[in-house]
Amino acid sequence: MHAVDSPATAPPAPIAPSTPDKPTARVRRRRRPQWTPLFLALPTLVLLAGLLAYPLGRMLVLSFQDMQLRHLFSGATPPWVGFDNFTQVLTDGVFWGVVRRTAIFTVVSVAISIVLGLGVALLMQRVSNGVRVAMVIAMMFVWAIPQLVSAQIFKWMVDADFGVLNYAIDQIPGVDFTNHSWFADPTQGWIVITTLVVWAGIPFLAITLHAGLTQVPQDLREAALVDGASPWQTLRTIILPILRPLIVIVTTLSVIWNFGLFTQVWVVRDSKPEQEYQTLATYAFTQAFGRNEYSLGSAISVITVILMLGVMAFYVRQMFQIGDVD
Amino acid sequence: MRHRIAIAAALAATLLGAAACGGSDDSGANDTSAQALDGKGKTIKVWLMVDAQSSWKEVVEDANARFTAATGANVTVEYQQWANHLTKLDATLAGSDVPDVVELGNTEMPKYVFSGAFAELDKGRFENSANWLQGLAGPCELDAKTYCVPYYAGARVLIYRTDLFDAAGIKAPTSYAELTAAADALKAKNAAGSNKFAAFYMPGAYWYAAMSWVYAEGGQIAKKDGDKWTGTLADPQALAGLQKWADLVKGYSSGDVTKDESDQAAIFAQGQSAMFYGNGWEVGAAQEQRKDPNDPNSELVATKVKGKVAAAPMPGIPSFLGGSNLGVAAKSQNQPLAAEWIKYFTDTKAQEALLAKAVLPNATNLLDKAATVKGNEATALAAKSSWFVPMAEKWADVEKAAVLQQMLRDIVTGKKSVADAAAWADGEIEKTLNG
Repeated sequence: MHAVDSPATAPPAPIAPSTPDKPTARVRRRRRPQWTPLFLALPTLVLLAGLLAYPLGRMLVLSFQDMQLRHLFSGATPPWVGFDNFTQVLTDGVFWGVVRRTAIFTVVSVAISIVLGLGVALLMQRVSNGVRVAMVIAMMFVWAIPQLVSAQIFKWMVDADFGVLNYAIDQIPGVDFTNHSWFADPTQGWIVITTLVVWAGIPFLAITLHAGLTQVPQDLREAALVDGASPWQTLRTIILPILRPLIVIVTTLSVIWNFGLFTQVWVVRDSKPEQEYQTLATYAFTQAFGRNEYSLGSAISVITVILMLGVMAFYVRQMFQIGDVD
Repeated sequence: MRHRIAIAAALAATLLGAAACGGSDDSGANDTSAQALDGKGKTIKVWLMVDAQSSWKEVVEDANARFTAATGANVTVEYQQWANHLTKLDATLAGSDVPDVVELGNTEMPKYVFSGAFAELDKGRFENSANWLQGLAGPCELDAKTYCVPYYAGARVLIYRTDLFDAAGIKAPTSYAELTAAADALKAKNAAGSNKFAAFYMPGAYWYAAMSWVYAEGGQIAKKDGDKWTGTLADPQALAGLQKWADLVKGYSSGDVTKDESDQAAIFAQGQSAMFYGNGWEVGAAQEQRKDPNDPNSELVATKVKGKVAAAPMPGIPSFLGGSNLGVAAKSQNQPLAAEWIKYFTDTKAQEALLAKAVLPNATNLLDKAATVKGNEATALAAKSSWFVPMAEKWADVEKAAVLQQMLRDIVTGKKSVADAAAWADGEIEKTLNG
């Protein structure tokens, strides 16, 4: 979960693959024995197996058992229950409410992040060098703050009794926000959480997309300008199509990260999220570690993975199509 | 009777033991097994909750010193936070390097006792064990065996601003009608000055409070029929209690209704509230706070309400008997030493030191003594009229799933009617307790 949580640890998205390398790579592969690349990849494969495959396998096994606290303490094998956990989860209306909420949050937050990220990237192209450097530095600071810390800071800022946000709004004449609770109404609460997620997500998107924008040939833009295209037309018909592979990739990554939303909700709701604030990740965690229904939590996680794969299949197909066009 | 004999034996052993080691310790409870318990070179690990660190560190240190003097073993105390301690404990107990002694809240205990997390203890070896408070000792028992030792208890009282009461010409209320009358008077006198003013600060997710109102009206959370639990919050008496509590929140409180009680003393310290319903020790917490909250040794700083706060029994409302218990981990390699440490930490000497910290002792025979300590009168009285959560193995799951908090938030934010919210909570409680 954590591996995909943090944008800071993610590899930078590759920028449009450079085609000249491809033939040489193929030639090399034909000449050398097959085991060299395998050997070189071995440490990675071992790490992946240890850190991803093993826990995933255990989780899968667990989701078909009924593990309780006493099995955890004694180390005894929990009884097998077949598909009971899955039936229980899938027939529970609360679970589907959580799925819907997570999906809506993902769509909304990713859309806002991408639009704002692209906006900032376009702005970076227009401003002078000094301002651009200042923007990058400011965004690096945002990027460098651990999620836990930024969530804690947001929590304090929107606190009803001690928060600076209510205080600041209160200073507007005629407005009374004393003790206003930002979380009594889930819509407002989710606006706060979405703001936090988008705010933390923009630096990665803006910097990556800005890097992509530098690949847009200047003469194409000039030609568009000469042909009398408006800036909006230039954006739609020239810049966006060239950026498309990159946008697909950053959207995919954002979907993965935001779909697994955990830390922000967890911290902002004081590690006891109400029903209206449960996402798939917090719901699985609450079941598994809050109520010690480890198997139920595992089943929820397995279903989450399957749902994610369903969503991702679409993007993976898109990516292959883009590759074909290239 | 068995326990009396055991205590007599322990006392007899004390005399022998005291003579043998020439100890100056007059609190009793040493026994001959101290000789067998040669702990030289060993160290036991103790998990206490953060309250011990912030409020009665010297009691812990004194018990450690006496324990080390008697057994030669060392003690490492690690302080835990309430917010995540169970998750941490679960993960730790699944391994082999476990703490020897663990503190748990009394409502959290049954599940762990049932799951085999704690070793059986010889009840007779602990001082005052014949008189342990039932609300604390009950969760320690399973099949007539004892798995943990009561540590301390807490009861909730009415905490109020003496200056505001004087200014309004009122005294601490002695009936619920007087309480609401006082709240009306305070509201009329102070509300004009500040829209933040709360005649009675009551956070919306404060379930210990709301359930006290339920029990006050003769309701209860759940009851057991045969081997099935039934949620009873939608019963007429419980509904009346919930309604009365909700009226108090809506009529006299201000602030974030989605909050629980964890920062109520700090909110009260801002000087914008006239009353709140808190633990005895919150009288102190509202008046003085650590300069650096992360450093228990930093100096105490007076708040705005210093010297203007007093406590009284909450009229007409029985208190939840909260508290903590100490258990010896079943996987501990030092079980006899761990039990020995608990003995020192819960003996009369340690308990009497705790009384001065505005918490309640673990035994009824010490409760009267508690009432004579200044500042403790209200809580000691409150403890005599108290209620406790359903004694169900899975009760802790109801707490962890925050069922009651959800119900209360739904009521105070107006999402659901009292009856609808209670019916929903009954369903959840039944599902959890019978699951």
